[in-house]
Amino acid sequence: MSMVKFEKIKRPEKIGLPFMLDFYPLQDEKYTRTSQFFKNLKEGHLTTTKCKKCGELLWPPRVICSNCHSEKLEWFDLGTEGELYAFTEIRLGAPIGFVEDVPFCIGIVRIGGLLISARIDGAKYEDLKIGDKVNLKIVELPDSRVFYRFSRNKEQKLPIP
Amino acid sequence: MRQVAIVAGGEAKAGRRAASWRDLVQEAGKALFEDVDNLSPKDVDSIFVGAAQPERFAFLSYVAPLVAEHIGVTPRKVIARTELACVSGQAAIRYAWNCVATGMSDIAVAIGVEKMYQPDMAEAQTTMTCVLDREWDGVNCFSAPPIFAVTAQRHMYEFGTTKEQMALVSVKNHHYSSLNPIAHLQKEVTVEAVLKSPMVAPPLNLFDCCPMTDGSAGVILVPAEEAKKYTDTPMYLIGSGQYAVGNVINNLANLAEWAPLKLAAKEAYRTAKITKDDVDIAEVHDCFTISEIMEYEGLGFCETGKGGKFIEDGKPYIGGKVAVNPSGGIMGCGHPLGATSIYHTFEILKQFRGDVDMGRYVKGAEIGIQHSLSGAANQHSILVCSRELR
Repeated sequence: MSMVKFEKIKRPEKIGLPFMLDFYPLQDEKYTRTSQFFKNLKEGHLTTTKCKKCGELLWPPRVICSNCHSEKLEWFDLGTEGELYAFTEIRLGAPIGFVEDVPFCIGIVRIGGLLISARIDGAKYEDLKIGDKVNLKIVELPDSRVFYRFSRNKEQKLPIP
Repeated sequence: MRQVAIVAGGEAKAGRRAASWRDLVQEAGKALFEDVDNLSPKDVDSIFVGAAQPERFAFLSYVAPLVAEHIGVTPRKVIARTELACVSGQAAIRYAWNCVATGMSDIAVAIGVEKMYQPDMAEAQTTMTCVLDREWDGVNCFSAPPIFAVTAQRHMYEFGTTKEQMALVSVKNHHYSSLNPIAHLQKEVTVEAVLKSPMVAPPLNLFDCCPMTDGSAGVILVPAEEAKKYTDTPMYLIGSGQYAVGNVINNLANLAEWAPLKLAAKEAYRTAKITKDDVDIAEVHDCFTISEIMEYEGLGFCETGKGGKFIEDGKPYIGGKVAVNPSGGIMGCGHPLGATSIYHTFEILKQFRGDVDMGRYVKGAEIGIQHSLSGAANQHSILVCSRELR
């Protein structure tokens, strides 16, 4: 037996999810110049920045127009109803923080002239088709950050008389 | 500008390896210098390390000096890590090529490495999901399988591509990888097995997806006029194309047609002074079955929307119109992100040398292209390799 000393040391059993390993963006004005996007979401509006100089609609929201480098941007409301351009369902391989939600649908939604990705709530993969109408919904995290999702507009599934 | 040759390659066995990030790079480094005469690690003046996400996969930054130290290279001209997600390895070759071409370096190593297997697979998936814009697309779980799932859905919707056509890519590439001793997966699959494999993200089944793989591979670049000092069978870099459009999903050119690939291919063929018909071997980025189908189209081997029929008609096999992924591709060999392009480039060199299993040998090949893509397929990179100096 070796004479070298062995000692068990303590470490935390679990390390909580640090903010920079969380997928949801930091939203507070201390951390981002686009906190207005999240303030608008809290009021039920999905918005993005539009350049006042060249008219370019910018996604994701910017502080400087990537087209003409103007800093004169305004908030543009994208509306609340979109159309499903493409979708899939996460069945295997979800990242940390989403494993518990499996299976769930995600998609690309055509809204306000943009194609943006989002969670699609309230439907299974088999229930969806390209072109379906979807409605904006807002989710609030336990730490009061917010994010946008869409849910399938249930009315379109009513049988045609 | 000088013309540049690749005179050696080396690779670690790809797979789910009982080996660490730094173990893998040592294996590739040793193999690399065993593949060349009259050249030792001390002769190398520059090194480029392709590594996509060592911060997350190995919790290491600043990896270029670490790699140089482990393989015995003392860089005195240029040293850097190159990161371009799944194209990090080709980025390393490009930088090495540029440095040797301009005279900034005389002997450069490009080596890639990635360690994808970790105790917790959800952590590995988390890492992969940071590749797309994490705050706007990653947050919606658009990582590699889902973005290619919606790509496949749009290709099927717009062009009528079928699941069976996609499965044929998996069958072909698993067949070739079954003959490749360094490949991760060495078992053949059938169309039925692909269609019955577990659903990852519809319409993609498990065997429509490449595996998570550990691996490392490297190549050595020297001026073309010096190449024969080190080997009787150098391979010459004769053309290149690279093009990126957008990043976040909204700003992609199109889901079902890869415009940046078409532009990169046009530039690669122009700079190499060849046409698509001159390509004998295409080692392309088959991260998912749909990717290879869209690459037949983007590289000009068939018309847009006809990629499914192209494989149904037997065109991308050895002995067909063009040998696509005779290595077994990413589907069969695996996809250690930073090393993938370098494995594929070395495969073309091995093909030119005739140093592969005869069951996957492309006889008489003169021109090979190595294509890699990254992100939501918004960026495409192509190298053109030639057996003869042209």
